[in-house]
Amino acid sequence: MKGAEFLVKALEHEGVEIIFGYPGGAIMPVYDALLDSKIRHILVRHEQAAALAADGYARATGKVGVCMATSGPGATNLVTGIANAYMDSVPMVAITGQVATSLMGTDAFQEVDIFGITLPVVKHSFLAKTAAELPRIVHEAFRIARSGRPGPVLIDLPKDIANTVAAYEFHEDDSSEESAEPSEESITRALTLMHESRNPVVYAGGGIGMGNALDEFRAFIETTRIPAVATLKGLGALPTTHELALGMMGMHGTKTANHAVQTCDLLICVGARFDDRATGRLNAFAPNARVIHLDVDRAEVGKLRRADVPVIGNLRHALKALTCKLGNIEPWRRECTASKETHAWDYAAPGTEVYAPGFLKSLSDRAGDDSIVACDVGQHQMWVAQHFHFNRPSQHLSSGGLGTMGYGLPAAIGAQLAFPNACVINVSGDGSIMMNLQELATLRRYDLPVKIVLFDNRALGMVRQWQELFHDKRYSEVDLSDNPDFCRVAESMGIPAFRVEDRADVSGAIDRLLAEPGPVLAHVLIHQEANVWPIVGPGRSNSEMLHEHEVAREVAR
Amino acid sequence: MNKFTLQLRVKHSEGALVRILGVTRRRRFDLLHLTADTTEDGHFLDIQMTVQADRAENTLVRQIEKLEDVSQVEVVEPGETAGERRTARSTAC
Repeated sequence: MKGAEFLVKALEHEGVEIIFGYPGGAIMPVYDALLDSKIRHILVRHEQAAALAADGYARATGKVGVCMATSGPGATNLVTGIANAYMDSVPMVAITGQVATSLMGTDAFQEVDIFGITLPVVKHSFLAKTAAELPRIVHEAFRIARSGRPGPVLIDLPKDIANTVAAYEFHEDDSSEESAEPSEESITRALTLMHESRNPVVYAGGGIGMGNALDEFRAFIETTRIPAVATLKGLGALPTTHELALGMMGMHGTKTANHAVQTCDLLICVGARFDDRATGRLNAFAPNARVIHLDVDRAEVGKLRRADVPVIGNLRHALKALTCKLGNIEPWRRECTASKETHAWDYAAPGTEVYAPGFLKSLSDRAGDDSIVACDVGQHQMWVAQHFHFNRPSQHLSSGGLGTMGYGLPAAIGAQLAFPNACVINVSGDGSIMMNLQELATLRRYDLPVKIVLFDNRALGMVRQWQELFHDKRYSEVDLSDNPDFCRVAESMGIPAFRVEDRADVSGAIDRLLAEPGPVLAHVLIHQEANVWPIVGPGRSNSEMLHEHEVAREVAR
Repeated sequence: MNKFTLQLRVKHSEGALVRILGVTRRRRFDLLHLTADTTEDGHFLDIQMTVQADRAENTLVRQIEKLEDVSQVEVVEPGETAGERRTARSTAC
């Protein structure tokens, strides 16, 4: 049996059902072996999409996503997707072909040191040196990718190793993947702070979903009755409509969420990492709060904000141990929920053009709880976070840490393959869609019924918004008024498409989108100067949110 | 500036030393001194490195601890031998 067959057999043993990839010279032995495997290979049209689709698949399912490419440019094209998974702690195994070991280090054709290039963005990596070690490497790679704080793992496989004939030795080990339980001392100290607090807030991050701690988190909230704010990746940890869910915090968060955090006396951070987009100016963040920080990754605790009580370890155990009834927070809870009502979103925008937040709210209402939304990066991404309703984090696929334009379409492909019957929606922008536009051909090839909502403001909207608000309207390289005709582009790739230009047509457009049995693209024109509100300016504290009416008043003066 | 010395034991795997140095640089710690030796059985590298930074030593210690092949991280006095080491602080944040 050849090394390449070892690899495929080991992947089957790990339960891999789908690989996203693109063949080429050095990885050919593996593609040969795949012909005799039950693993389904999805041929994308650019390796970056293979990695991003594997990421979307992983986020939607909780399983390890697998992508594969050849050496050299195939491998370097994976890098953005690997970095994306690294920043958002997504379990992934990336397999790259490599030139033969005798050629390594000679600048051979399509040789690149992908092991070295990816070192800063992988949880771990392997260079296969013998065929016999491949089953162990694959097993280790999957264990590392999903254990503790998940992340991407690279396996670089030289072509001669893939072609080496050896005896397959099945690799099994029973090392536990369960992360450690938090110390009793930390739990006791955390409980003390919780009972002393009058204005506690829970700061819910992506670790809740990634750590499979959704049930424990919800039980914790239901019992303690502490109001919760969410990071971009924490959305859905509580259903959006839950009375104690105060919405997203941070730069484009809700007034209610940011105000609650800024005035709380205890911040319970659950699986989050005090990212700058969430905290605003760090030294003014939650200035009156003591901090309890629950995380499986010890390195995140105290990295940016000192934790009064670190609770390190498995979130499920930690949340269970902290679930208790609290007295004396009723007035605070009432204040928070009242603020939520006062600052509820207003969808009655002036004008007759399509209002993206309103469109998304209607789409969310109609698509229902089983839908999955994959977005790209920019204004539309923030509108999705603000206005879509999420019932679980795995419903919302968004590139949070890396902010990868071009993420949405491949991620939607990954999610749709995992859940063929789900309503999978890609919300994109006219900037982002062009970053992985070629994947429309993948939608068609596999006939994946992804619904694409393409908001088009003929601009790089988020950059334009920053230049308007923070660079004295000095617009630099944000004009996209020469965009192609997106409907014709989609149609040329076999995807039906239609245009939506008027707010009165939104309801019919959503009907048409959701009724279409196959893939479809809705090209939605919005105002070029539409902005995401509210916003915390760069270097500002989350207490200083800018609202549309305030900025308008400022301009009028 | 915070200057300190770390004693590490790392599995002698592909890229082990580069990985450690990469984390050190990315987390903005300046390398001042480094020695590295393979253990007698050839399976591990023993590394002693002195670094300085504005950041607390735990910032680096914890990032290095996370690396898959690292089995030991201790803050030591420069030149200190194994028997004299004091263990890295593991509870303070």
